[in-house]
Amino acid sequence: MIRLEHVSKSYRTSTRPALDDVTVAVGKGEFAFLIGPSGSGKSTLLRLLLREEVASTGDVYVADLNVGRLSQRRIPQLRQRVGCVFQDFRLLANKTVSENVAFALEVIGKPRHTIRKVVPEVLELVGLEGKADRMPHELSGGEQQRVAIARAFVNRPLVLLADEPTGNLDRDISHEIMLLLERINRTGTTVLMATHDHTIVDSMRRRVVELHLGQVVRDESRGVYGVSR
Amino acid sequence: MRASFVFSEVVTGLRRNVTMTVAMILTTAISLGLLGGGLLVVRTIDRMQQDYYQRVETVVYLSADISANDPGCTSSTCSALRGQLESAPGVQTVIFESRQAAFARFQRIFQGQPELLQLARPEALPASLRVQLSDPARFPSIAKAFTGRPGVDRVTDQGEYLRQLFRALDGLRNATFVIALIQALAALLLISNTIQISAFTRRAEVGVMRLTGASRWYTQLPFLLEAVVAGVVGGVLAIVGLIIGKVAFIDRVLAGVFEAAIVPRIGYADIFSVAPILLLVGSVVAALTGYLTLRLYVRT
Repeated sequence: MIRLEHVSKSYRTSTRPALDDVTVAVGKGEFAFLIGPSGSGKSTLLRLLLREEVASTGDVYVADLNVGRLSQRRIPQLRQRVGCVFQDFRLLANKTVSENVAFALEVIGKPRHTIRKVVPEVLELVGLEGKADRMPHELSGGEQQRVAIARAFVNRPLVLLADEPTGNLDRDISHEIMLLLERINRTGTTVLMATHDHTIVDSMRRRVVELHLGQVVRDESRGVYGVSR
Repeated sequence: MRASFVFSEVVTGLRRNVTMTVAMILTTAISLGLLGGGLLVVRTIDRMQQDYYQRVETVVYLSADISANDPGCTSSTCSALRGQLESAPGVQTVIFESRQAAFARFQRIFQGQPELLQLARPEALPASLRVQLSDPARFPSIAKAFTGRPGVDRVTDQGEYLRQLFRALDGLRNATFVIALIQALAALLLISNTIQISAFTRRAEVGVMRLTGASRWYTQLPFLLEAVVAGVVGGVLAIVGLIIGKVAFIDRVLAGVFEAAIVPRIGYADIFSVAPILLLVGSVVAALTGYLTLRLYVRT
């Protein structure tokens, strides 16, 4: 579902490449952690998958799309297949919970009756039934991240990318968010989560891909966080 | 779905920066209003030119000898001149005006100034052949052919005075266009600025749109439409301004001039024939400005 082949990415402002000859594949329906210290290249890898950046060399594939070769016009097709969630939630402060989720469908031109049907469904899936009309600032951090996950998932993406989704949340809430991501993974969605939260990685016992200075230094199918460092 | 979503975004955008929106619309309106004014001046000048050049004459003044002794243009010199003028290319009609007729016209023109009339003698006025040209541009060749000929005193062209008048009017028109242009530049910068601010205040929305795979149209159309709305509303205000200007100012101040048919009247038909140009220019220029701004400054 996700495949990187000998991918390097250099920024003009830095002498060291952010990613250095990375080859990694994540299969359909898999759940994988992407770990490593700050600056190891996790975020760059996610940005390549979203075509926020283009690899300097190598090929990036998501589903059947050669991401680096997509024309500007076809980038939306990629992003409609890839949902993503961030540490800072990125909710729209002036829209209610259900409007936030609906927005993701409105902007890709989904018909209104579809939106009316699927938004409550996905809110129920993330455990926010009854909070549809709240504003984001009325919610706890965990609830806000649930809204963000609902928004990322509402268009049923093939892949869900999560960049430090628990970075702003305490341990119990983080655990709930992980259960939610697992539930989404069980629907067949490939989940790739960048994190440096030891506890979570250790407790989940899922595949771990570790980056260090832009290179893959470890890839274990049922890994824990920190053995090497 | 599409349309209602995009329009609600446009309305939100315009409302959120209401002061900038108003400034943008007013500047656009003034600029388009000046453009419209300039176009009306052009129309008026064109009509005046047609009108006036039809009326002006080239005058061949005859020598003192003919003026004194040939009241009917029967002498061989005079009739030959007349015949040659009539057969010259570009000449429509030739009318002989005797000294007596010239004096009678003089008396008619200056009947309000008796002291002038008392001083005047018929002997001071020459007889003339008054030539109506089908093409005013023909004057130089006529002047060249007839100046210095026996029986001819001098050849004058009334059109020369008109040309001076029209040069002044052309200057007025050009000044209007220059001001319109400067104002248009201000309007363009304001539109561009407003779009940038609008994009900045909505960067969260635009960010979500990009990530959820909204097409370029969805992310950019609202901004583009904001600019077009400013252009169209500005155009409508400019047209309203021109109508008010006509009723409240032109029609009153220039009433006498219109009455005397010195300047052709500016009618509603003139304004309405200029109106579509203003709307078109307003919306197209605003849309182009918006497009370029998005291309240059706003990442999507």
